[in-house]
Amino acid sequence: MAHSGLATRLYRGEAGLDIIGKRKLWFSIAGLLVLAAVLSFFVRGFTLGIEFEGGNSFQVPASVGTLTQTEDRVNGILGNEAGGAEVESAQTVGGAGGEFYEFRTAVLSSDEANAAKVAMAQEFNLNEDQISANQVSAAWGGQYTERAMLGLVIFIALVMLYLIIRFEWRMAVGAVSSLLLNLVLTAGVYSVVGFEVTPSTIIGFLTILGFALYDVVVVFDKVQENTRGITANNNQTYGEAANLAINQTLMRSINTGLVALLPVGGLLFIGVPLGAVTLKDLGLVLFVGMFIAVYSSIFFATPVLSTLKDFEPRIQAHNKRVLARRGAIARGELSPKGAPRPAGRGESTEAEDAALAGAAPKVGARPAGKRPTGARSGRPTGGGGNRPGGAKRR
Amino acid sequence: MRPGRQLAVLAGIFVVLYLLVFFAGGAKGSVMDRLEPRLGLDLVGGTRLTLEAKNSVDGRAPTAENLEEARQIIENRVNAFGVAEAEVVTEGNRNIVISLPGENRDLTDVGTPAELRFRKVLKAADGSGAAAAPAPVPTPSGSASPNPSGSASPSGSASPSTSASPKVTASSSGGQGGMAPTPSTSATPTPSASASPSASPSASASEAPVPASVEEQRKAVEQKVGAAAWAAANGLQGPADLSTDPSLADKLKPFSTLSPQEIAVLPAQTQFNVPTISCEQLDKRPPGSITDPKQQAVACEGGAAKYLLDQAKVLGTDVEDASAVMDQTNAWVVSLNFTGGGQDKWTGLTREAFNNDGNACDASALGQDGKCRVAVVLDNEIVSSPEIQGVLTGDSQITGSFTQQDASTLAGQLRYGALPATFEQQEQQNVSATLGASHLRAGLLAAGIGMLLVIIYAFFYYRLLGSVIFLSLLLSALLVFGALIVLGRTIGFTVTLAGIAGFIVSLGVAADSFVIYFERLKDEIREGRSPRSAVPRAWARARRTIISANAISILAAVVLYIVSVGTVKGFAFALGLATVLDLVVVFLFRHPIMTMFARTQAFLSPRVSGLGRVLRTAETEGNTTRPSRVKEA
Repeated sequence: MAHSGLATRLYRGEAGLDIIGKRKLWFSIAGLLVLAAVLSFFVRGFTLGIEFEGGNSFQVPASVGTLTQTEDRVNGILGNEAGGAEVESAQTVGGAGGEFYEFRTAVLSSDEANAAKVAMAQEFNLNEDQISANQVSAAWGGQYTERAMLGLVIFIALVMLYLIIRFEWRMAVGAVSSLLLNLVLTAGVYSVVGFEVTPSTIIGFLTILGFALYDVVVVFDKVQENTRGITANNNQTYGEAANLAINQTLMRSINTGLVALLPVGGLLFIGVPLGAVTLKDLGLVLFVGMFIAVYSSIFFATPVLSTLKDFEPRIQAHNKRVLARRGAIARGELSPKGAPRPAGRGESTEAEDAALAGAAPKVGARPAGKRPTGARSGRPTGGGGNRPGGAKRR
Repeated sequence: MRPGRQLAVLAGIFVVLYLLVFFAGGAKGSVMDRLEPRLGLDLVGGTRLTLEAKNSVDGRAPTAENLEEARQIIENRVNAFGVAEAEVVTEGNRNIVISLPGENRDLTDVGTPAELRFRKVLKAADGSGAAAAPAPVPTPSGSASPNPSGSASPSGSASPSTSASPKVTASSSGGQGGMAPTPSTSATPTPSASASPSASPSASASEAPVPASVEEQRKAVEQKVGAAAWAAANGLQGPADLSTDPSLADKLKPFSTLSPQEIAVLPAQTQFNVPTISCEQLDKRPPGSITDPKQQAVACEGGAAKYLLDQAKVLGTDVEDASAVMDQTNAWVVSLNFTGGGQDKWTGLTREAFNNDGNACDASALGQDGKCRVAVVLDNEIVSSPEIQGVLTGDSQITGSFTQQDASTLAGQLRYGALPATFEQQEQQNVSATLGASHLRAGLLAAGIGMLLVIIYAFFYYRLLGSVIFLSLLLSALLVFGALIVLGRTIGFTVTLAGIAGFIVSLGVAADSFVIYFERLKDEIREGRSPRSAVPRAWARARRTIISANAISILAAVVLYIVSVGTVKGFAFALGLATVLDLVVVFLFRHPIMTMFARTQAFLSPRVSGLGRVLRTAETEGNTTRPSRVKEA
């Protein structure tokens, strides 16, 4: 076991990564990213699609050729006359009045639209009045966004309530702040890179909402299990127990992320090159959002929770006790129950030292190299080896 | 622990779902046709209708704000059809373009203004037009009896004999001739006889002077019908009885040839009094012809009874909410909920009608019990005109012989309000898909590859357990597919390319519930349990996590479905559906199948179960880990 590689340790939930201990680092990273995202909202804004902005439409009689040919030629004209605008959608419209093709583009100035119309008439040998050019409004009305935002707010309020009942308010705060981080960062990526925002993007955005919380709930479920009755003994600080929970669910988080990202990646990296261009919007937002969701459930939600918990008097006292006891053991005043096994501890002890330092710096305990840690078995008093507290539940 | 029973329930669900797919709710055609979900605008194209804004008075285009407001209202109405993803945009400065998936959809009602007015019925007349003039004369006696100038009491004696149907009352009143008006309506102007066309309307509606353009149009109509007919029409004091005065019929004949647009410009008194103006013409008046609440108006009910209606005292804007409900007699009605101010107005109107204040309602227009009737006027037609049985202080209902669809359409129109401009429908067109079949194929292929990767990963990581994942994904996919077809038929749920992608992603996300389960299983086995005893324990714990996590997804779906509109609503529906189906698969398939697996020999073999590594390490560590477990257990 001492020789087992990272993969195996991950598989067994014993990677021993110190995440809670380095929370200041994660918070600074998150803070910087949010700052960048918010700055970008104001500086760059968003690139909105024609569904939001409206656009122009051109109608050309169907007699001029096939739809694809005509679309190509129209694209060529737009490139010359309208500053590189492109056809966003092309379709055939038919009725008693004859068939024609309709092409929609982003918003053009009236000069551009006129120039394009004239050029099209020349290109297709038509009279100008046979081509009609119009402005088209946004299909996605302001009320769509308003209602979606209202829904988002109500949802967050309800979910907060649910999490308070199901877990506790600190976890609710941790989960919701991680969700908000997720939304802000995803939107930030869109703003910074300048991806076009379409209705599909909004839909994808809302999909992430559920996914991100789902992820956090799974981790918190484990944290709750690991920390149940934690004050009953003095082996672990809250932060360590939470860190253990993260490690134990790490493989699940990675698996979930992979399983969810694989089909999205399929859409994005195979579907889009094959021609399903509209899937780009949805694929992109999901890909970015899910990635951030997995990241924030590990590196943000639980650290927030653990920080909040450290302010709780009960936990504060508990952490002090644990550290005091460790100090005592280290000074040889107390013999640790369940002798820790010294073999193969090198790299992970360092991590845990850091965890200790980060988690509860106020107690002057020096790093205890040989303390039993949560991620190890062989600690009968721990309640459940890898799953302290877990075995007591039933 | 009865895996057999759970699997049987699942099988039952399957059978029912696919029976529905093949045989219920308008399933028809070949097997392939029955297996086709309703596809969205982007994939199969649909129907497009252009509405052109027409201002009834002058030809100006509506303001941009009005057009946008109209667009939103129309969008709401279209969305009320179901969860189909419609597209409503404005084009240029006076067009609204509606596109809806599916060919040849009926969009006729979408563009109606839906101006709702509640007006007291003042007088009634036959509306069958000129044709009815000499021929029917069905109630020669009726012409004599009720006319003692309209006071309420004699009409009581008249109406029982003519039975409850308002139509009958109306035809008998045809004979009242010139006698009735003087006492009957306070609104009828006394200087009525004056030939000047402007006199009567301005008298009846002092606050709304007739626009100059209308004056001109009236002049044009006057020329068309000829001076004689015009004078005869203006000379009428009440609905003329052509049977008693055949010469009048000839004089008024030109009115029957007027177009509905021309009829609309005539003063209400003329429209009512001239018997050659038929309900057919009146019903076809351009939208918005009688929306002015300050004017009296003429409208028809059921295409036969013509009523002169009072000024509108309660308007559509006084209605807070409307919904289609079934009343005690199992008939569909539209239930109305008034705003605070609207409620007062409505109470006032019903009191006025119940007491027949000032004998405003003509005998011919009273109901069975001698109370005034109040007409519910939608645009140019009367939906129903119930007699007011008491002073109403609460919610009200609109009755009429509605089908469920009529009732919900009307409720939707009332709920979303009236259009701020009037629209004329252009020709309905069919539009092609914006994304070709190639897009669909590429999307599906990509999704297929993505799912294949998921399955390969599952087999690689969980080995034999991968087959459970594979089977439940397949099952979820089949359930989703079946549900899509059934929902497409029943509530018009349409699938766009983005929707397909969403469902595929949701399958991937749903696969997460295995990961939770299997990771739990690994934990249990690592703790030294045999796979057999580990399965139920892992299940008990994983279930908790899965339920709380899915509860959040469902919460999101429900909130978004209730609050949001249009595309987002469709998405919320899909999210909820996918989550519920995930729970079904987890509880009715994965758990029982795992229980069954745990009983087999193969599952215990580390090499195939995918739990090998865990088992092996558990064994090597046996000396340290085992004792502690034993102690606890």
